[in-house]
Amino acid sequence: MSDVLAQFPGAQRALFRRYHIGGCSSCGFSPDETLAHVCERNGGLDVNEVLAHIQSSHEQDAKILISPKELADALQQDKSLRLVDVRSREEFEAVHIEGSTLLSQDVMRQIMGNGSNTKPVVVVDHQGKNGLDAAAYFMGHGLQNVRCLRGGIDAWAQEVDPAMRRYKIGS
Amino acid sequence: MNNDLQKKISDAIANPQNMGELANADAVGTVGNSDCGEMLRMWVKFKDENGKKVIDRATFQSFGCETAIAVASLATELIRGKTAEEALSLKTEELAGELGPLPPMKIHCAQLVEGALRSALEPQEPAPKPAAPATSAPTLLDNFSKPKEGLKITFLDEKK
Repeated sequence: MSDVLAQFPGAQRALFRRYHIGGCSSCGFSPDETLAHVCERNGGLDVNEVLAHIQSSHEQDAKILISPKELADALQQDKSLRLVDVRSREEFEAVHIEGSTLLSQDVMRQIMGNGSNTKPVVVVDHQGKNGLDAAAYFMGHGLQNVRCLRGGIDAWAQEVDPAMRRYKIGS
Repeated sequence: MNNDLQKKISDAIANPQNMGELANADAVGTVGNSDCGEMLRMWVKFKDENGKKVIDRATFQSFGCETAIAVASLATELIRGKTAEEALSLKTEELAGELGPLPPMKIHCAQLVEGALRSALEPQEPAPKPAAPATSAPTLLDNFSKPKEGLKITFLDEKK
């Protein structure tokens, strides 16, 4: 699986979105397992079908992304839109988008257990590196209206809110 | 997911049956992992009927998605009046009842219900699903939710 992940960085998201594989410790896989073995112990999935799904995942990732400007417009139009920030508490306290919520176990349970899987959720990270993982995680649990802020809060600061301070991790 | 299935799920969760803890239950089973956002616990109470021990009532609590709630709601109705053996002989797709065939990404929801039922009715048995390997690659959950301690944040406008 480590080779699969190296060649297709979005493979883990793709696997979880469709097959609920690789999301947490109870459905995870080992780096030295083969894709065929993972398929076999998850209900005998067709390896070729799974591989084709992994290969098309880049297109799916692109569909999940929402640009900062699109998000700013969506926030004006849809008050039910929920912004979920997956950064650390320190980063969240330093800067965050107004109305966003820092992800915690309680927030995760609220999102997954509120009885609706169609309410819009947008995931915010620092620079767009982890947000897609979180979005795929929510989608793998059946949420149908999940997007991820392209470029994270750093892109938001550059494209929508120039007053927001940009930062980096480390000195 | 097709619209018909989505409507059946929505109908089932609009009026879920048998949700909540069951006082004085004879058996309790739990499956899943709350870290994954999915956990299902099932309580079962038996009664004697014509010399047979049958399920009088079953209830559940779930942190899972709405499909798991819908399947658990239908399954707890379905197993009422059955013996433990009869309930355990039901296949995953039978537990999903009138929801009909589930898409691949939703089958695990029904398996979660089946696992909770097995855990309650044959608690000494191992979980039906093969365990994940002990050494796991970082999971999606790890990737975005691991505690990030001691982070030093440097504002870019403070540089120089």
